[in-house]
Amino acid sequence: MTGKFPPLTINRRAALAGLSATGLVGMHSPAFAARQKFVTANNNPYDLLDPHQLFDIGRIAVRLNMYDALTRWVDNPPRLENWLIEKVTISPDGKVYTFVIKQNVKFHDGTVMTSADVVYSMERILALKKGAYGLFKDVIEPGTTKALDPRTVQFTLTKPFAVFMAVLSELWVVNSALVKKNEKNGDWGADWLSKSEAGSGGYALRRYDPAIGFQTARFEGHFAGWGKNPIDDAEFRGVLETATRVLGVMKGEFNTTDGYLPAEQMARMKENPNIKTWEAESIRTFYFIINHWKAPLNDVNMRKALCYAFDYDGFNNKILSGTVVRNNGIIPNPMWGAPKDLQGYTYDLDKAKYHLSQVKNVRPLQIGAMAGYPQSEQAAQMLQAGCAKIGLEVKIVSEPYTTIAPKLNDRERAHDLIPLWRSAYFADPHNWTGFLFNSSNFDAGNASYYKNPRVDELCNKALIITDQDQRRVMYEEVSRILVEDAAGIFINNTKFHGAFTKNVKSIRFCPIGDAQDVRWIEMQG
Amino acid sequence: MRILVLALRRIAWMPPTLLGLIAIVFTISRIIPADPARVIAGENASPAQVEALRQKFGLDLPLMQQFMRYLRDIVNGDLGISLYSQRPVVEDLLGRLAATFELAIAAMCLAIMIGVPLGVVSALHRNRWLDQVIRLATMAGLAMAAFWLAILLQLFFSMTLGVTPVQGRIDGWGPDQITGFYTIDALINGDGETFGKALRYLILPTATLAIPAAATIVRFTRAGVLNALSSNFVFYQTAMGLPRRTIIWKYILRSAFIGTLTQIGLVFGNLLAGAVVIETVFSWPGLGLFAYNSILQSDYNAIMAFTLFTGSVFIVVNLLIDIAQTLLDPRTR
Amino acid sequence: MRMRRLFRDRALLIGTVIISILVLVAVFAGPLATFPDHVTGFDPNHRLKAPGWQFLLGTDRMGADIYSRLLFGARLTILIAVTATGTAVIIGVPIGLIAGYFDGWASEALMRVSDIFLAVPQIVLAIAIAQTLGPNIQNVILALSVTYWPFWARLVYAETRSQRNEVYVEAAKAMGASPLRIMVMHILPNIAGSIIVRTTIGMGATILAAASLGFLGLGAPPPAPEWGRMIAESREFLPQAWWYATAPGIAILMVVMGFNLLGDGLRDVLDPRIRRGGGDGR
Repeated sequence: MTGKFPPLTINRRAALAGLSATGLVGMHSPAFAARQKFVTANNNPYDLLDPHQLFDIGRIAVRLNMYDALTRWVDNPPRLENWLIEKVTISPDGKVYTFVIKQNVKFHDGTVMTSADVVYSMERILALKKGAYGLFKDVIEPGTTKALDPRTVQFTLTKPFAVFMAVLSELWVVNSALVKKNEKNGDWGADWLSKSEAGSGGYALRRYDPAIGFQTARFEGHFAGWGKNPIDDAEFRGVLETATRVLGVMKGEFNTTDGYLPAEQMARMKENPNIKTWEAESIRTFYFIINHWKAPLNDVNMRKALCYAFDYDGFNNKILSGTVVRNNGIIPNPMWGAPKDLQGYTYDLDKAKYHLSQVKNVRPLQIGAMAGYPQSEQAAQMLQAGCAKIGLEVKIVSEPYTTIAPKLNDRERAHDLIPLWRSAYFADPHNWTGFLFNSSNFDAGNASYYKNPRVDELCNKALIITDQDQRRVMYEEVSRILVEDAAGIFINNTKFHGAFTKNVKSIRFCPIGDAQDVRWIEMQG
Repeated sequence: MRILVLALRRIAWMPPTLLGLIAIVFTISRIIPADPARVIAGENASPAQVEALRQKFGLDLPLMQQFMRYLRDIVNGDLGISLYSQRPVVEDLLGRLAATFELAIAAMCLAIMIGVPLGVVSALHRNRWLDQVIRLATMAGLAMAAFWLAILLQLFFSMTLGVTPVQGRIDGWGPDQITGFYTIDALINGDGETFGKALRYLILPTATLAIPAAATIVRFTRAGVLNALSSNFVFYQTAMGLPRRTIIWKYILRSAFIGTLTQIGLVFGNLLAGAVVIETVFSWPGLGLFAYNSILQSDYNAIMAFTLFTGSVFIVVNLLIDIAQTLLDPRTR
Repeated sequence: MRMRRLFRDRALLIGTVIISILVLVAVFAGPLATFPDHVTGFDPNHRLKAPGWQFLLGTDRMGADIYSRLLFGARLTILIAVTATGTAVIIGVPIGLIAGYFDGWASEALMRVSDIFLAVPQIVLAIAIAQTLGPNIQNVILALSVTYWPFWARLVYAETRSQRNEVYVEAAKAMGASPLRIMVMHILPNIAGSIIVRTTIGMGATILAAASLGFLGLGAPPPAPEWGRMIAESREFLPQAWWYATAPGIAILMVVMGFNLLGDGLRDVLDPRIRRGGGDGR
């Protein structure tokens, strides 16, 4: 066995432990030589596997393939499916959710999933305060989630929350018995789970090296069953150099790579006969956070001056060569709740000058660009250049996201302006509006420190009612107000440009998770 | 006996050096930042968590007491938990040590293979055109930004000619681990294919790292040979009528080699330091790439642990080379 | 006589020429640049253009002229090299003088501290410091000064030791000169040559280290035309934009080589004890 599973650095024991438990050992015998393999080269290193500590879309493959959640997003535009859930009951006040989970859902070690696992996973997220913690912290108190019987779990919310079902897609259920066995000094198994796996998902961890990536094998016993021609081995590698990823796909060493390559690299891929490309408008808006807390940014004229000073066409169509689509508001165009007729700002230096002249006490501004994300730095330079033309001094600092992120929730330390993306963690307009601009979310998501009573009112109401048509009207109004108030500088919506080797027959793209959900990928035999 | 005393003296000098290194890292991590608890907790921490950390690490204690605790943790092999992965940093560092060492040792060998002959040739052709060319090349080798050279090599050999991989350590997963050196492990397993692959991945990073090191070695070797050539000993041998060839092979090369050996510690240190940048360009999964990723993630504990770890490795390697040299050098015998 | 020798020495001549060009370029970056506003400005219509008549060395990811940015980058390079090396000299030289002139535990301790600094790879320490303080030019300079001073302390210490029993020092002592006076007025001028040589070569090393920090993202933020950062930016666009990294890399190579040549040349002139062509490695 050691021949097939070479002992490997620190992770050997963990990987082997997972193995012997899953009974995968036999699957790797020579009889299965013709197994279909799919290799993804990702632009992020897979240096962490804990589903409750990760929350980025870049590394969602870890969660999607090795774990299951109560709900799951599929297709584009995204549709929410009941995944582990068999039955849902919601109390009339919208605060108590009772779920019956499916029968015979098995973890990779053969244990049957029970409601206790769901409770443990919820508590674990609330205790670790990482990953998807922000989605749950306002509505669920620790200790309030109950296992009524082995298959029934009950969540009691502190207030009605219309998107609760949607955010449950980030409540990845871990095998509580297995994690508990590996706890150390009350760390909720954080050390262990950072390099092992305790899930029930379609693929089970076979090998892991934080410096390389991870290998998985299909979990035959997955509760959702399998189609006719599923992929047997899925491998995910962190490959930082863009040129290597592109070259690797061209040579067929990798089956795909991240869907957000620079236009020049994408052009090379499109010319290559061995590559198939898919394009889809995603739901990931790029914008500048404006810190309304700090004068003179609390002045609408100041903000409008900034909005008119950004060269949208130059950035979207020239710097990014049209790989993105102009998005006039904060809600991505394809998402419901984004008004189709919304008028955005244009690059107009005269208007910018006019608005700037209305501002008292103008001071130099500071942009906090994200180091390691060229687009963020380039947008910062674009705005800086525009501002220079209207006589406004702007300074750029470049910091890693991990340094910028916490300052987002600290109004005094936050930068004046931050160019970043708002990805879809769940496909509901709340993800872009209430979460980002409701004043009740100060220090917890509303990094703009924007406050408008009407926006607050609409966002709150839209979380209580569940009817989508009623909610749509509210979110459209919010969208318009945000543009009118110049609450942020809204720039573009991202397009997904997937490049795959020719033998990939079909993918099932969903903006939440891009095309990293291997279950839905089909290859030619 | 004298050798033993010399070796013991070097070993005795190690603990205070390590202590000093710890003191420097302690200063950088605990005294320079305005609020070390805040930095160590990671920027995502709530005020309560920061306070808890302050208590836990005793950051409210007098500095001397803090230092003692810090020291105690290090002696126990505890370099802290990565803020990012939640794993003990020392685990990641040890896991990546082999990759860096494989690269550094390969580069060292290549540098000696290039550097010593060139140095000798340069000295024997002193001030003639061959010497001038070698010296110019040496100068350029020392003045080049390693990361730039790496990119040029990638551009030419990997992207244009396509003969070497752009980056990475191996296509997929390494051979069964015995030493952690992919090339050697593949040989031990008798796996020629993996050996070839590992070698192909090793070429460019090794070359990039070896060029400045080779340049340094050329300079030392050249100086060493020139010294030997002008020594009374060689003069005497020549007078004795020994053929020039014999003198060069037997006496001059030996002294040149020993001269080079004295500098190997320095060169090896530069290699380890250079690895930070080179590993980043080639995504070579060693200590350097770990440091770079930690920078991107502001993983403060990891960076401090890396500094301490690399510093210690550097000090120990130097010590070993010092001792080896003492044993080899006939003058101390 | 001395001047003639100065120019007979090729290393010195070439080094002087390169460094003079660097200084001239830095001073006259404005008039020499074809797009002087491209330090912060750019033209997205001409993004990633290959070298040609309009853009001599091509353009970068924003459509800024690389040639013009390179010229302004020379200023940044000189600023970092001079301040960081200067600070290291200002810290290192007095420490070396004092430790070398006096005996006792304090001298011993000072030298041990500098030994420890020298026992750690400089770039690694600089990374740790720059990371702690945050990425900007001032912190790069600080990080480099803190890691490089021991080189001068060591050198001056050794030189002072060899000088302090010389006749001229004894004479000054006999005349009742204070230790401070002896160190500054008598010993320092005698060892100045070595310090100048070491400092010149140190400039090159500092520029390389600063470029590495810039490359790793620990240097000046965009749009600063910092050479190391420019090379880092280019990686995303390889292999098409081959010119992007080429020019800044050659600039670094030339300047560092210039300082090294100048240092070697000066060594021959100022430090007759070391034979020509011998060299001690650095």
